[in-house]
Amino acid sequence: MSAGAAETPVGVKLVSHFATVEQQKRAAVLGMWAWLLTELLLFAGLFLTALILRLLHPEAVQEAARHLKFWIGATNTVVLIGSSLTMSGAIQLSRLGWQRGMVRFMLATAALGGLFLVLKGYEYYADYHEHMMPFLSDRPYELKDSPPSRLFVNLYYVATGLHGLHLITGISILLAMTWQASRPGFLSRHQNRIEIFGLYWHFIDLIWILAFPVLYVLNR
Amino acid sequence: MFGTPDERRILWRHMREPVLTACALLVMLAVNVGLGATLPFPHVWIVELVVAGAMVATILLVSMEVRHEPPLVKLFAGIGFFWVGILFAMTLVDYLSRG
Repeated sequence: MSAGAAETPVGVKLVSHFATVEQQKRAAVLGMWAWLLTELLLFAGLFLTALILRLLHPEAVQEAARHLKFWIGATNTVVLIGSSLTMSGAIQLSRLGWQRGMVRFMLATAALGGLFLVLKGYEYYADYHEHMMPFLSDRPYELKDSPPSRLFVNLYYVATGLHGLHLITGISILLAMTWQASRPGFLSRHQNRIEIFGLYWHFIDLIWILAFPVLYVLNR
Repeated sequence: MFGTPDERRILWRHMREPVLTACALLVMLAVNVGLGATLPFPHVWIVELVVAGAMVATILLVSMEVRHEPPLVKLFAGIGFFWVGILFAMTLVDYLSRG
């Protein structure tokens, strides 16, 4: 076997408050889903507000959306779809016990998450230069004659900023877990941590898949 | 990284579904980006929302493997999106029905 595919034992260490490993794994998945649904409701409120603003003030929202960087948003969607693929790869290899390959896929996932943040940071930087940050008191807002556009632009920053915060949290957890996962014995005791974290990462992708059309595409 | 033909075959068997899923998502994204960039007909937003919904369903069912989960997890995931559906439907019915 080559270094990338050297098999290590795969399993989950049973903790005292569960009767079986299967029960423990299912409880972890259910618990993660319970938390993800609260997150879904949080973002759903923001997306619904964006749609209502579009209905109430169509011209102002379209004018503001013309300043969004459509192609950076599209590129970032590609980046996150790629990161979901590498995360799925890490999960698949963790099931096979191919530890080194799994770690490489996890690092690739974190790198793609980082690339998303770099592109998003550039987008914010360009917005700053275009005076598209209405919440900055010392910088005149570009669309000052269109007060409703402020609502949409502020909502855009809240939604994308909150998503970015989730991504930063995900990358931090992923890097810490990658360090743990690179140590001997991880897969024989904690394989399901990779699966549970994978749910979170795919969910971050799912939220952006919704954010991109709601903020960038529908308002053109 | 995966040297032997056996290893590559095993890897492809396990990665086939994620790779196809990513390809499907990229195709759907390309459709939405194309529609958003060209705005080819009125009410194109309906198609864009349907495509976005298909992308979300793909991630849920395939990437997050909900279709392989026990019924309780399926119920949980389904109810979450059902709640969001109620939220959107009841709110938008109000705004869309205003004169």
